[in-house]
Amino acid sequence: MLPTGVLFETYSAEAGLLKTARARVAVAALVLALLAAPLATGAYLQGVATHMFITLIAVYGLHVTVGMAGQINIAQSAFVGVGAFATARLSEFGLPFFIVVPVAALVTGAVSVVFALPAARVKGFYLALTTFAAQVLFPIIVLGLPTSWLGGLVGLAVEPLTVAGRPMNTPTHMYYFTLALTLIASYAAFNLHRSRFGRALKAVRDNDVAAEVMGIDVLRHKIMAFFVGSMFAGVAGSCMAWVLQFVTVESFTLFTSVWYLGMLIVGGAYSPIGAILGVAFITLVQEGLHELGTAILRSGAQEAGGAIFAATNIALGACILIALIFEPRGLAHRWQVLKTGLQLWPFPHR
Amino acid sequence: MIKLLQVLLDGVLVGLVYGLIAISFVVIYRASRIVNLAQGEVLVVGALLFWTFTLGLQAAGLPVPLVVALLLTGAACVAFGLLLERFVFRPLIGQPAFAIFMASIALLVMLRGFAQLIWTAETRPFPQVLPSGAIEIGPLLMTSRLAIGAAFTVALTIGLHLFFTRSRRGLRLAAVAEDHNTALSLGVSVRSAIAIAWVLGTIVATCGAIVLLSGRIISLDVATIGFKALPVALLGGLESIRGAPLAGALIGIGEALAMAYLDPLTNGVASNVLPFAVMIAVVLIRPQGLFGWKRIERL
Repeated sequence: MLPTGVLFETYSAEAGLLKTARARVAVAALVLALLAAPLATGAYLQGVATHMFITLIAVYGLHVTVGMAGQINIAQSAFVGVGAFATARLSEFGLPFFIVVPVAALVTGAVSVVFALPAARVKGFYLALTTFAAQVLFPIIVLGLPTSWLGGLVGLAVEPLTVAGRPMNTPTHMYYFTLALTLIASYAAFNLHRSRFGRALKAVRDNDVAAEVMGIDVLRHKIMAFFVGSMFAGVAGSCMAWVLQFVTVESFTLFTSVWYLGMLIVGGAYSPIGAILGVAFITLVQEGLHELGTAILRSGAQEAGGAIFAATNIALGACILIALIFEPRGLAHRWQVLKTGLQLWPFPHR
Repeated sequence: MIKLLQVLLDGVLVGLVYGLIAISFVVIYRASRIVNLAQGEVLVVGALLFWTFTLGLQAAGLPVPLVVALLLTGAACVAFGLLLERFVFRPLIGQPAFAIFMASIALLVMLRGFAQLIWTAETRPFPQVLPSGAIEIGPLLMTSRLAIGAAFTVALTIGLHLFFTRSRRGLRLAAVAEDHNTALSLGVSVRSAIAIAWVLGTIVATCGAIVLLSGRIISLDVATIGFKALPVALLGGLESIRGAPLAGALIGIGEALAMAYLDPLTNGVASNVLPFAVMIAVVLIRPQGLFGWKRIERL
């Protein structure tokens, strides 16, 4: 909701992504702060932020598939893995990153379509089961293929990333690289809501019969939802391959998929703000408990330190459950309520 | 020929264990319309409870007879099921299927965390409940642990089937499996249905754990067996108790055949891929499974 007194004179102004000067200033300030952050932080925090950006790109994709189109996908981590392996293979040919990233995204999208095809026959939970099969089959197939293809148990080494002939090898370089891709992905995710395609996806989610009556090709949009969501995953996979410099199947487990879904649920599945809030919140909880765990381990209490690591799982599960039971619209809704309250202050109601 | 028969026999016996775990999955769905992805974790919790009351108490200097340990485990399973009903699924009654599905995923993560926290991640021996060794039938060998398990599975299937189709309470559960809101409007208690579902599901999963693990090693990784039971439950039909052991035997045979004849050629992939290939095929061709209710929403 917009504050009082904001009037638009043209349609294009009203349909804009950032409608008010205040919103533009806020986003510019956020981007500047993110650009300046490496000046004030060390390698560890930059690494955490890089990881967070990668996760955010993957969760944006999940937001498209699950939040906008309403198709459950519990294989996002496997799709990130497909993108990472594609990047590892492509980087061997010495291709520049601006070709590798889109190709990896397209490959990932194509793989996801295979598992979205059952949408022609079933929906809801049964469709979720095919993505579950995708997640379980991913390591089995990668490990089963000849070692010369995808590295098998050992994994694949990734050629280091070069931008304009210069190698990007420090944490700060990777921070800026993933930040740039995250900004592009954010633009894509927010913009999708304003497009014809995005509105069609939401119509399919809310009522697929009504959507069909309105002339939307439901099956095509369900499959496209998987395709687009997995393209985000492919981009995330590319980043992850270059950051880790080595890809193995062990990085892309069912549990990571569950974490992605958990972040989306906690943040709120229906808006891209939810993806940002969810990723930030869960990463904060995870890192906080991780810090606590290492601090306790250093102080000598071995058993309590191990318990803290187990507690991370409990905390994540509890976060998802609490969000489902008490605030199904997620942190994004709380954020909206808070923002509206501040804009209307000192009046309680509109 | 003998090898083929032996492979088939092993397949059926292992498949019936899958069937037993699939029954624990089906029981929960059949009584409460909850698809529980966390069934593997429930099985591990049941197994660890049983370990606590047998070897755990023994190590603490309080050995109890096996029957008492079984009763204690049963009581703990009941408490566990009631806890899940009260704090996880009761607040979600009437919520969309997506919320309940996500709750089961949250439960998967949480139960793994709790198991790690309470029992730690170390592997431990599981008590020997069923006899080890093998029974010889002519030239064929039958693991006695699995043979007893198979007989138990068949008996349990018949018992549960009678409960769900003949008893008044069992028939009420069918209404809940159809639709929560309809069941509520007809005066059927969804709360008690979910409680019964989880108590039964936990107990059956624990039985599965005893058959599967007796005299072997238990670790948190055992939970992956739950993912193998999912294709079995789907092939048999999510609402069909009698379908689960049959589908288990079918998938067990398929897996054993793939393991014996295809794995040497495919680097060990075939037998692992098979259950999930079957799962995708079932979703594509006959989503209600072999004996499920015909109610799948289509486009």
